[in-house]
Amino acid sequence: MKTWKWMQALALSLIVVMVVTACGNKSEESGEGAAVKISLLNSKGEIQAQLENAAKAFKEDYPNITLEIIPVPAGQSPFEKASALYASGNPATITMLDTGDVEKFKDRVLDLSGEKWMADAVDRSTALTTFDSKNYAFPLAIEGYGFIYNKAVLDQAVGGSFDPATVNTTSALEDLFKKIEASGKAPLIISPMDWSLGAHYLPLAYAGQSSDTAAVAKFVDDLKAGTVDLAGNAVFNGLIDTFDVMAKYNIDKASPLSGTYERGPEVLGKGEVGIWFQGNWAWPQISSFDTASGQYGFLPVPVSNNPADFGNTQISSAVSKRLVLDKEKNTAEQQAAGKTFLEWMVYSEKGQDFLVNQANIIPAFKNITLEAKDPLAKSISEHIAEGKTEDSMSTLPADHWAKIGASMQKYLAGAADRATLTKEIEAYWKTVK
Amino acid sequence: MITEKGLWNRLRLRLLFTGPTLFAFLAVMIIPFLYGIYLTFTNWDGISTSSSLVGFENYVSVFKDTVFWQSFLLTLKYVFISVALINIVAFLLAYVLTSGLKGQSIFRAGFFIPNLVGGIVLGFVWQFIFSNVFVYVGKELSIPLFSDSWLADPDKAFWSMIIVTVWQYAGYMMVIYVAGLMNVPKDILEAASIDGASLWTKMRKMILPLMVPSFIVCIFLSLQRCFMVYDLNLSLTKGGPFKSTEMVSMHVYEKAFLSRDYGVGQAEAFVLFLLVATITIAQVYFSKKLEVEA
Repeated sequence: MKTWKWMQALALSLIVVMVVTACGNKSEESGEGAAVKISLLNSKGEIQAQLENAAKAFKEDYPNITLEIIPVPAGQSPFEKASALYASGNPATITMLDTGDVEKFKDRVLDLSGEKWMADAVDRSTALTTFDSKNYAFPLAIEGYGFIYNKAVLDQAVGGSFDPATVNTTSALEDLFKKIEASGKAPLIISPMDWSLGAHYLPLAYAGQSSDTAAVAKFVDDLKAGTVDLAGNAVFNGLIDTFDVMAKYNIDKASPLSGTYERGPEVLGKGEVGIWFQGNWAWPQISSFDTASGQYGFLPVPVSNNPADFGNTQISSAVSKRLVLDKEKNTAEQQAAGKTFLEWMVYSEKGQDFLVNQANIIPAFKNITLEAKDPLAKSISEHIAEGKTEDSMSTLPADHWAKIGASMQKYLAGAADRATLTKEIEAYWKTVK
Repeated sequence: MITEKGLWNRLRLRLLFTGPTLFAFLAVMIIPFLYGIYLTFTNWDGISTSSSLVGFENYVSVFKDTVFWQSFLLTLKYVFISVALINIVAFLLAYVLTSGLKGQSIFRAGFFIPNLVGGIVLGFVWQFIFSNVFVYVGKELSIPLFSDSWLADPDKAFWSMIIVTVWQYAGYMMVIYVAGLMNVPKDILEAASIDGASLWTKMRKMILPLMVPSFIVCIFLSLQRCFMVYDLNLSLTKGGPFKSTEMVSMHVYEKAFLSRDYGVGQAEAFVLFLLVATITIAQVYFSKKLEVEA
């Protein structure tokens, strides 16, 4: 009987030990010593390898800090992954978020207003992440989008050197399409992904309302309140007119929704089409098919036939990715190490090299003077320097791209007319809380 | 030892054996389930540090969410067609592969393999087939049916989902039917043959009634799996084109994590649970009555 009791006790304690160790928190092992381990949740999949190299370069400068890069799986949004990590009590030290998501995390992340780089940040680059005059996020990358053109194809079409400044109205764009078609190439490709149509193309209708960002914000508020008459809105109609022209000259006209993202860079790079609606993040893919010896640039998306109208000569751009530092579960040392990494990117030679040369990022800092090697980033930077930009809509509701993207796909496929599209957009905004 | 006296002593012995499993069951099934129900009464958005109780407001929104009910109807249509096709195909396969065909074990293994591939991978493989292979073949041989991607057309995309689902589960159900067919007593079939019963009569009067338990299991499994389809939906069509193939699980997920309406999403999940539980329990209950003994 005694051995039995003893065995019972042993078995029970074994179970308890197993349960306790399984649930135990392992992060406490790095108590002493200067070695700090931090992590970065990367939601920019295309720069995963570059970030890993940057982490190695960073370790050379700060041997006691180890930076681990965690990718957000393809198909998952940064918000989903970040909130899942928070829910499991294991958030990354540095989290890369989309601009619109920062506000949701503001109670859980560090106030970065006192950082050195604040003084060198580009104008308005931190405005959208500042709440109660405290800035919570590091602006990582400026991204822009519009019509990417392949200069070799366009030169051939216009018979000479193509001047992007000549395209500043919808009819000028259509003329260009006709010329490309006459030269035996397809004018353009529309990649029918919901995020491209819903998060990039259609929001031009909101951003193009006015060059004054306050007026744009008011327009969005009015949409929510349901007081906007979209059907009678000139910018919206102009944008959809342009879309009709695009759809007419689309290489995939026969089955407009069958295209994939991967097809876009291939046909543009190989010169099968002259134009692709996309952003500067597509450069790595385009360059692997490049036949135009790196001669690419951006054309604005025209919204009317008056060249002076806002939007006809402006490229949509904004800070798209932000870094926030967790203050809940990471130790003070980890937080400090995270801040060191941010500073390292902005002020060290290696950090700047990573941003501009390796990751093809357009930095949001005035002190970085390295010139981009990638033609698309260069084109965006030139537009920024000339002041020819329109702020992209970066604080739209989280499901805007999916819902409006679906409506745009329906319109593109011809399964809905303009009245239906307008109605669906208006109805969507009324459901936004 | 079993006869040890006292409640505590008996309880202690039971806990020793069932405790670990009970703990795991409570921790990963029951508590999350109850917590999920609690969440349906809050307005939590998935990340904020605070949330407040809102009563039955979320359930009211579920009934007002027309898209939820539309995708539920679409799911019903999908479930109905897939369950019927899966079971017909699986039964026919099982019948052919128990009739003494040469190399039937290899065929059985072959038909079962799709089930070993995860839904996500399978979706991507078929996405490639539908939008690249079929289109290539269709263009080369100029077959209009295949010259455009099936996934770009709402109706064809729906049927693509069904084709892949049937392909995925038919092999699995076939294994269950094979087991059922093997258990049909040979002696009564032989007696029927001697009495001059045709193949069709034997099938209708003997094999099918004796196979009812297999049918119950297979229909239950396929019903439940098709109702909860998410992985295939995500990787094959992503709910597209333009949300026309968005099944109800995907809608619930997007409500909670994309629209960030955690409470409403959770409430929809709970309503869905009740609906699916009712349907499957009713199916098992009513088909139990069809069972016979040889």
